[in-house]
Amino acid sequence: MHSRREFAKTLGLGTIALGLGPSVFARQTAAPFPAIKDPKYRTWSEDALREAGRLGCTYTDIRFTLNRSNGVAVRNGEIQSGGNIGFGQFGDEDTYGFGVRVIHSGVWGFASSPIVTPAEIRRIVGVATEVAKASATSKKFDVRLAPVKAYDTFWQTPIKVDPWSIPLEDKVALLVDVTRTMQKSPDVMFGNAAINFNYEWKFLATSEGSFIEQVFYYTAAAMSATARKDGVVKSRTFNPGTETRGWEFVTDNDLKGNAERVAAEAVEFAMAKPVGQGLKDLILMPTHSALTIHEIIAHPTELDRIVGYEANYAGTSFVKLSDVGKLKYGSKHLNITADRTHPGGASTVGYDDDGVEAQKWPIIRDGILVGLQTNRETAHYVGETSSRGCTFANHWRNYPFLRMPNIQMEPGPKGSPTLDQMIADVPDGVLVDGQGSFSIDQQRYNGQFGGDCFWEIKNGKKTRMVTDFTYNAISTDFWASLDAVGPPETWQHNGMGGDAKGQPVQSNRPSHGSSPILLRKIMVGTAFA
Amino acid sequence: MAYSRDEIKQITDKVLNMCKADAAEVRFSGGERSATRFANSSITANLIEHDQEVSITVRFGQKTASATTHQFDDESLTRTIDAVQALARRKPDNPELMPLVEPPQAYMEFDAALPSAVNFGPAERARMVKASTDICEKRGVLGAGYIPKFDWVEASANSGGLFTYFHYADASFILTCRTPDQTGSGWAGTTGVKDIRNIDAEMLTNVAADKALKSRKPRAVEPGNYTVILEPRPAARYLSLMLGSLNARNAEEGRSFMSGKQRGETRLGEKVFGDNFTLRSEIGNQVLRQSPVGQDGLAARSVTWIEKGVVKNLFYDRYWAQRQKKEPTGTTPNMSLVMDGGTASVDEMIKSTKRGLLVSFFWYIRPVDNMTLLNTGMTRDGLFLIENGEIVAPVQNFRWNESPAVSFNNISALGPQVPMHTGEAYDNPGTALVPAMKLEDFTMTSISPAV
Repeated sequence: MHSRREFAKTLGLGTIALGLGPSVFARQTAAPFPAIKDPKYRTWSEDALREAGRLGCTYTDIRFTLNRSNGVAVRNGEIQSGGNIGFGQFGDEDTYGFGVRVIHSGVWGFASSPIVTPAEIRRIVGVATEVAKASATSKKFDVRLAPVKAYDTFWQTPIKVDPWSIPLEDKVALLVDVTRTMQKSPDVMFGNAAINFNYEWKFLATSEGSFIEQVFYYTAAAMSATARKDGVVKSRTFNPGTETRGWEFVTDNDLKGNAERVAAEAVEFAMAKPVGQGLKDLILMPTHSALTIHEIIAHPTELDRIVGYEANYAGTSFVKLSDVGKLKYGSKHLNITADRTHPGGASTVGYDDDGVEAQKWPIIRDGILVGLQTNRETAHYVGETSSRGCTFANHWRNYPFLRMPNIQMEPGPKGSPTLDQMIADVPDGVLVDGQGSFSIDQQRYNGQFGGDCFWEIKNGKKTRMVTDFTYNAISTDFWASLDAVGPPETWQHNGMGGDAKGQPVQSNRPSHGSSPILLRKIMVGTAFA
Repeated sequence: MAYSRDEIKQITDKVLNMCKADAAEVRFSGGERSATRFANSSITANLIEHDQEVSITVRFGQKTASATTHQFDDESLTRTIDAVQALARRKPDNPELMPLVEPPQAYMEFDAALPSAVNFGPAERARMVKASTDICEKRGVLGAGYIPKFDWVEASANSGGLFTYFHYADASFILTCRTPDQTGSGWAGTTGVKDIRNIDAEMLTNVAADKALKSRKPRAVEPGNYTVILEPRPAARYLSLMLGSLNARNAEEGRSFMSGKQRGETRLGEKVFGDNFTLRSEIGNQVLRQSPVGQDGLAARSVTWIEKGVVKNLFYDRYWAQRQKKEPTGTTPNMSLVMDGGTASVDEMIKSTKRGLLVSFFWYIRPVDNMTLLNTGMTRDGLFLIENGEIVAPVQNFRWNESPAVSFNNISALGPQVPMHTGEAYDNPGTALVPAMKLEDFTMTSISPAV
């Protein structure tokens, strides 16, 4: 028999982290279309709502969407093709179409099409209605929607610089410069850098009386260096993530200014020694804690998971309906807020795809679970009479359902320990930056997380880089170990792409901001034991 | 109705005629994607998505650019082509751009869109849900499932006269049954089925219900190394973890498990796995009926990747093949994938096991170390302890950390192959023929009480 440990030894190589996905150029064209506030969408919507009413639907919405994506990726000074970063979808394309959602006979029906004409809209309303009627033959209960106000409004992501106004040559030049700078280190094999932009226009009309037009801009940026030293290959990443901002997100994050550091840390990482196995204190930087918050706080507090809607795919939750107001989720330092209004948040909107206005509400206060993520369809399960506005579809093609909003960890109060003070307070620990391998069970209870880069802390000093690091988290035990959260001035935003859920699978992009956090006595290194 | 060959040819001819570049390629993708989803034994989503797109790539010398549109009217196509041509002219040369693939290409011909799948509509899916949830109710479990259906066309053409067209239709039935007290869960399913008569929803529901009922109130057993019997679904997921390592460029650049000791070397020809591990792409396989069109329109041919544990072929894309003076492989490792099986049933594997685990499902598998193929994941939806040839108890789920590079040296029994999706979700092509497999010395690292 081969044992895994013996096998790894004979290979004699270390980890190679995933590099950045490559990307392709998109069209560099004029202003996005269609024109804002084009009256034809209201006319077409009114026709669709009228037709659905004639067919006997008790609820209808029609959602027109245009997405335009543009991505540039460079490896070792050369443009790459294929793939993208940040959004996990769209690549470089224009995609435009509409979806119609109805309730007939108490159940949902949905149909969509890229052919945006009055005749096709009428046909698709009929298809959605027929789908609902077919579903009714096997229904066990009727859909119940929480009431919502009617809105007739326009909302837009505030941006400073339109990414489409930046010449292609300037985008390429920036990334070539970044990768060439990383390559100055003789041990760096590959320097990767990528930026990605998405423009989304959406017009939603509902039979509740809403006509809501919205425009969103999403921007992502990331870079990595892959180094080889004495036969060991390692990568180091600088990944500012995704935000609802314009080109200013790229310039604010100064990819060029980080290039030498990233290259040097990749080389140092390739020479790092294994951390070993045991209980250690952890300091998680906001770039890393975003993922942990996402997996073991944001997902388990999605109400549709709790009541079983995701049992066949994403899973259910260790949280029960009866836990709200009672469950001790973590230590007194743990305060979590859901917020679709946060400026720059990756899921910040004016209104959700049910037509519910964006809002902010508490999920955990002083370690106690106090709230959940809801939408119109699920609010009644927790006895609430209004939705929290968490419905989202990631494409005109897809049906809308409950997706997580920005789920943020509140900073500690003014005067809380800074990063340096946390390090000084750790006798034996590891500082973790960035995101790496992550895996979590279907009820979000047992997680194993890696990171992008790790530093040993001994007797209050950050000493050296280490490798072969993972930590294990049993959700409530893990957060019970939370001993400090950094003060407000250390809080950082972190937007993520590629959050998969639903069948057919759809991708969501929430933000999970936090300050640096300190946890005591967490088991590390078991994956490499 | 799916797009016919003639309809697609008209679209691609039109686009190619509109392009003024030195050369152009058009890829078409479109059709109907439908799905019925249910939970708590009632339909929660039922949908029909229509989509169509052309992706247009133009070339001026070594400069190239691509753009995609979903609208086929003259105005949209003109706007897209004008934009992509303007963009291509501004691009730097792409040193990896290869010449267009030339016709003729000898594509294998077979029917991949059988009437039973093409005509599988929302009413038929709802009847399948009803049949399943009626059994769930009788057995005292809650059913949550997914029935995706594709009726889809993939096509391509280039200005050198190449034209490809592949129409397929298939469906899957995937089910998780849970006990009302939330202490038991079971999974069953079949995927990528071209002949819908081969979906037995009642049988699969009974399997999932059995697993749910028998997995109630699992007990905890110690983490450690176990003999595991992977049913076809976890076996397919586990197999997928080594497919990426078959890329020749990554191997020769020193970035993969298949890299040799020195940079530029690979493990081609080495015996890396056990004698009973053989993996092939079998183009034209009559169960899978998957696309015969390979990379860039090359005719896909059958390829043996691993034979009796020896690495026989790595995938060379067209650019890397030319650079390394090799023939391009054309067939990618995920095409019409077949792992050789054996004759042992799962029951026989259980009977021959002194102490081990029967695994129904793997979940949330993520790489830990790409160079060793070390991955982590969870068990889910039915984990059972085997002692002295019998299932003795349901047990709490485990997190595992293991590498197929190790496990595929430790295969002690294989079952017959069945079609099973290799991906985490079921929405794209990805079904392979995979056997149940018994693996020795599999590393379970921690317990999860999640059900």
